[in-house]
Amino acid sequence: MRALEPWVIDPLQTFLDESSARLTLLMTSSGQVVAQHGFSRSLDVMTAAALGAGIVASTDELARLMGATRFGALVHHGARQSCMLSAFGTPRGRWIGLVVFGPETSVGIVQLFFDQMVEQLVTVAPREHAPAPMLAENFEGELNASLKALFGRQ
Amino acid sequence: MNPAQTALDRVTRVPGVRGALILSAADGLVIAEQLMDGIDGRAAAALAGSLVGRLTRTARSAGLGEPAFLQLRSEGGSILAAPGGQEVVLVAVTGPEANVGLARLEMLDAAGRFD
Amino acid sequence: MTDNIRSLTSRLAEEPSSLAFLELGETLRQRGQLEAAIKVARGGLNRYPGLADAHDLVARILSDQDDLAGAFDAWSDALRLDPLRTSALKGIAFLYYRAGDVLAAVEHLERAAESDPDDESIPRALARLRSEARRSASAPQATKTSETVEARSASVPEESTNGAGSESPFGALEEGEQGLLLVDSNGLRLGGTLTTSAEGEMGDRVAAQLAGLSREAARATRLLGLGAWHSISVETPEGQLVLSAPTAETVLLAIRDRSLPMARVGLLAERAARAARTWLEREA
Repeated sequence: MRALEPWVIDPLQTFLDESSARLTLLMTSSGQVVAQHGFSRSLDVMTAAALGAGIVASTDELARLMGATRFGALVHHGARQSCMLSAFGTPRGRWIGLVVFGPETSVGIVQLFFDQMVEQLVTVAPREHAPAPMLAENFEGELNASLKALFGRQ
Repeated sequence: MNPAQTALDRVTRVPGVRGALILSAADGLVIAEQLMDGIDGRAAAALAGSLVGRLTRTARSAGLGEPAFLQLRSEGGSILAAPGGQEVVLVAVTGPEANVGLARLEMLDAAGRFD
Repeated sequence: MTDNIRSLTSRLAEEPSSLAFLELGETLRQRGQLEAAIKVARGGLNRYPGLADAHDLVARILSDQDDLAGAFDAWSDALRLDPLRTSALKGIAFLYYRAGDVLAAVEHLERAAESDPDDESIPRALARLRSEARRSASAPQATKTSETVEARSASVPEESTNGAGSESPFGALEEGEQGLLLVDSNGLRLGGTLTTSAEGEMGDRVAAQLAGLSREAARATRLLGLGAWHSISVETPEGQLVLSAPTAETVLLAIRDRSLPMARVGLLAERAARAARTWLEREA
């Protein structure tokens, strides 16, 4: 498990221990990765983050068209693995969790401990002033630096 | 009244039962519930569902077939479970002084009607 | 350097978090380059501590390096993550055989055979070990020739637990040990037997299902505000099970047929749990 911010580690580790999730990705709503577990290639992380953020944005728009509030979580059931996407608020803005799990656990367990993790993240997140808006020319550098940290290459 | 609600009513009328719910065995998600304050139905469904699944695999590996009734006893009461047909499980949470014998009979009868 | 090692090394250099370390470590091990192999394997294990394959690789390399205690620990870790992992069961069987404990080696190979009935090497190894066990049946059952394995494997019973008397946690019980299992937190059987006429000895297979059960039961009762858990009873059409935790690290399973009332099975389980606690204190 790798995380860019140290205060994410304990809540995420507890979630991983309790849920038996196979893959977990925490990202901002713009797809910037905050923490990951189980991915073996940076390309997979980038792709999953981009796709996850896109799916959540699409379903948010769908909810808006339906006149509903945002969906809490999205679960895709597969034959051998399932995937849950859930957006949540933190003092650092809106984040998204992507969790892949197998038959050794259940949606109920994953959702239960995911929500507990969110509560812990909200509690322990440092209350700092909001970061400066990111310029386009900084974005690629920030992304590369994040990925290096997430794969222990710093 | 639908069968699920009937089952929950019968079980929750037993003295000492603090709540009952019906969960999907595959997902550990609540289908229907009737709970007193202070009992987290979502947690009960997820945790009980996971335990029932594990104990079912244990019973099968011991050549004993599918469980009909399970009880997890603790300091503060019990979690009772009666798997029914169609991959649902009827679960009750009880206090320490509950009439577990009566709850068991009601649950077995109700679970038998889920087929 | 062969082409394969070269390309795996490049892959790992470009992407240190790649799982290529598994194939590279194994290739180096097979070529006898054990120092390089263990470096690669440990690096991968640091990144993936929850990957049974990584523990298995480390165990194979340590075994080749004659670090039998280290290999034992690594295979035990692999089994903790994957209780039915055939390669780890075979590895531990091999270590027991080298240590002179043929019966324990047979036990682990039997579990491996259940886990992977298609592995033809297992029946051959079993046949050989069983004939050795029969030849030495009148000799002391287990003699440890490897001090390091004996010193490090504190959680492993030193003698067969299928014997009567003080060797078994349940030796003093009037009912005997049939239908009773004492299991550690990794799903490994510490004592007792579970045999049926149809299936034979099933104790190890059932024990594997119980890995982590105590933790899961404790989690459920804690999160639902019910305090510490005492016991679990399960009724099935074919029989009844009662589970309890004699100690924080063990689970006891008692199985009886439906002819005995559940409450009586519970009393039997309590007696067995007391006997197990006494035995564990003695063995500690």
